[in-house]
Amino acid sequence: MIVGIVATASFFTMIEAPPLFKAKKKKELWLFSILLLIGTGLCISVSLDIVIPNPLDLVYVVFKPMSRLLDNLLK
Amino acid sequence: MTNNVKISIRQFTILMMFYTIGTTILVIPSTLAADAKQNAWIAAIVGWLLGLLIVYLYFSIGKLYPQMTLIGFLEHTLGKWFGKLVSLIFITFSFLGASTVLFYLANFMTTQVMPETPIGAFIILFAALVFMGVRLGLEVLSRSAEILFPWFLILFVVSSILLIPEIEIQKMKPIMEIGIKPTIKAALAYIGTASLPLVLILLIFPSALNQKKGAGKAFMIGTLLGGICIILITFLSISILGADFSSRNMYPSYALAKQINIGNFIQRVEILMAGMWFMTIFFKASFYAYGVVAGITQLFGCKDYRPFVFPCGMIIAAYSLVVYPNVAYMMDFDSTVYIPYVITIGLLLPLLLLVIGSIRKKMSSR
Repeated sequence: MIVGIVATASFFTMIEAPPLFKAKKKKELWLFSILLLIGTGLCISVSLDIVIPNPLDLVYVVFKPMSRLLDNLLK
Repeated sequence: MTNNVKISIRQFTILMMFYTIGTTILVIPSTLAADAKQNAWIAAIVGWLLGLLIVYLYFSIGKLYPQMTLIGFLEHTLGKWFGKLVSLIFITFSFLGASTVLFYLANFMTTQVMPETPIGAFIILFAALVFMGVRLGLEVLSRSAEILFPWFLILFVVSSILLIPEIEIQKMKPIMEIGIKPTIKAALAYIGTASLPLVLILLIFPSALNQKKGAGKAFMIGTLLGGICIILITFLSISILGADFSSRNMYPSYALAKQINIGNFIQRVEILMAGMWFMTIFFKASFYAYGVVAGITQLFGCKDYRPFVFPCGMIIAAYSLVVYPNVAYMMDFDSTVYIPYVITIGLLLPLLLLVIGSIRKKMSSR
């Protein structure tokens, strides 16, 4: 599984990085590598069943009071 | 950025229709029936009309600065740092949207169609398709929408016609029994899934259109057509399955297509219905995914979004397995917290932006 993920990531690097490298786009290269690193890390941790923080939980906490208000209004 | 991407008015109309239908067709009959019972179709009509107002709001925002995309507009009106912060909210929204849409489809596949295949397989397959589409660009996506449109129409019309003999009109009665509040609640659920996510269309509207004239009309017509499809499906599922069964079923329109039985010969064509969703969900997912990628690209001031599509794709695919830990969480989230969340992002924030933007414009023109 991990081998597959790493292979996919290197495949993406192979097709996307050389043109950026040639054009000397430093910022793009940085952004690309950071995003790819995060992506690979996340995929590996999902495949190993490591718990990842869920952004929906944050949304849940923030909007729960508003949702209760709405429920009471429209009951 | 989208400077050199041009899509025609007709393609834009079709895209808007697909976006409106998107996942809505999959889940909304059940949500509507839970609140508005046998009046779900009335609630859908109310939501449809409200949706037009919302589209008009987005259209007016787009008209303020027609050359700018949403991120550029935010930075222009709110200042550099605050603008970036607000754009981050929109990017998070589209990120969550992309992940949840992928989960919707994969969950549907594992629970209803192919129960023995693990959910990850569907996510990888569908995410690969979506991100290939986004990588190829908006033009390719809108052209494929143009190609798929007749097929969608054929499938939709055929399945609706085949369902007509099953309609039992007494399931619709009594028509005006449900009060105004549950109807509004159901209509809010409708605009939450169908209309308010369209705020992300400001990323391409109207700067990516090849002619600005008629853009607003195309926007309206697209959402109108999509809304008609959803109202029809809701009507059919209420009148055939009944309000109670529709509200308890997770995918009522799929259960609906199972009812098709013409002379004991044409049966079990529910995969036709699923085929329609694959198309609409594909466009909705790629629209969200485009929002994430283009948003991140513009946030960091890069020119071309294409190199970042695949890395972002990996993040979204990974998160689609995380955002909803289980289906109970999904149902709870979608029916309670999602609605105020999407109202804040799709209605309150754009309204605020419209006010600030028009004040800014007036001040600078003076």
